[in-house]
Amino acid sequence: MWQQIIALIIILFFLSRLVKQKAKKEVNASEFFVWLFFWLLAALAIIFLKQIDALLANLGFSGSGINFLLYLAVVILFYFIFRLRLRLAKQEKEITTITQALAIKEAEEE
Amino acid sequence: MKISCVIPAYNEAENIGQTIALVKPYVDEIIVVDDCSLDNTFAGAQKAGAIVLHHLINRGQGAALETGNLYALKHGADIIVHFDADNQFEAKEIPELINPIKNESYQVVFGSRFSGRPNNMPAFKKKVIMTLARQINYLFFGLKMRDPQSGFRALNREAALKIRINNDRMAHCSEILYKAHYYKFRLKEVPVSVTYHDFGQKISGGFKIIKDIIISKLSN
Repeated sequence: MWQQIIALIIILFFLSRLVKQKAKKEVNASEFFVWLFFWLLAALAIIFLKQIDALLANLGFSGSGINFLLYLAVVILFYFIFRLRLRLAKQEKEITTITQALAIKEAEEE
Repeated sequence: MKISCVIPAYNEAENIGQTIALVKPYVDEIIVVDDCSLDNTFAGAQKAGAIVLHHLINRGQGAALETGNLYALKHGADIIVHFDADNQFEAKEIPELINPIKNESYQVVFGSRFSGRPNNMPAFKKKVIMTLARQINYLFFGLKMRDPQSGFRALNREAALKIRINNDRMAHCSEILYKAHYYKFRLKEVPVSVTYHDFGQKISGGFKIIKDIIISKLSN
């Protein structure tokens, strides 16, 4: 029980940070809602951990709900890293395009 | 027919002057793309009489080639030759590389380092890395070329306009090969010589190429 309370406190901390970032306009609306959804979903998963346990048992899995959440978190983290890599690749390409345009412009002006 | 030679260069102050002097008799213009070198590559290339483009940030060989291509196309190049700055290729073989484009209506010609000409490539690279590269080209792109990674090539204007190099780093060799096949250009491999001054691309570089190909395929 106390582990669940600690987990919820941590989630609340992240939620408060998110709200602060939104107030300071450091995150845009779509990003805010994605993270809000993510943390609320995490809080719900923690609150209904026993029900998830039962659900997993019904589905024939032997692991507990908390294990399932851990695996899920790892999968989600991998997905975010993958997304970041793609976004980074896109930004790298954009930097290259600017560098190329500048190089050609500079040579033509000489 | 205007022949432009694009030479990407990074920290090649020692070789660039000689490379330009050797290439000059065979082409109409030489475009050196200095990829933010830390030495005097830029000044050396300018002194040797090349048109020099300067990358403000180091972007890699593929990006430098693309910059050179864009400039050459903008200034009316009919044939673009890609040549290395470190003197590993023989400038006197440029006419053999562009002849199939000029006289046999080929559109892209690749220099092959494995077709009988002198080649002092280290044995490990020749037997292991290049074999692996051939397999990767076949696996990812379905390509069967004798030289999977040659940097000595010539493209006619039509091919250069169509083949945009998106891989900034070393994966551009595979990308150019793939796109030349994909757009169904008339291709030819001609034998070229190569003199290695150091090992060149290492096996770790090979893995980086695979990673770049995958990322590029996913992000495009």
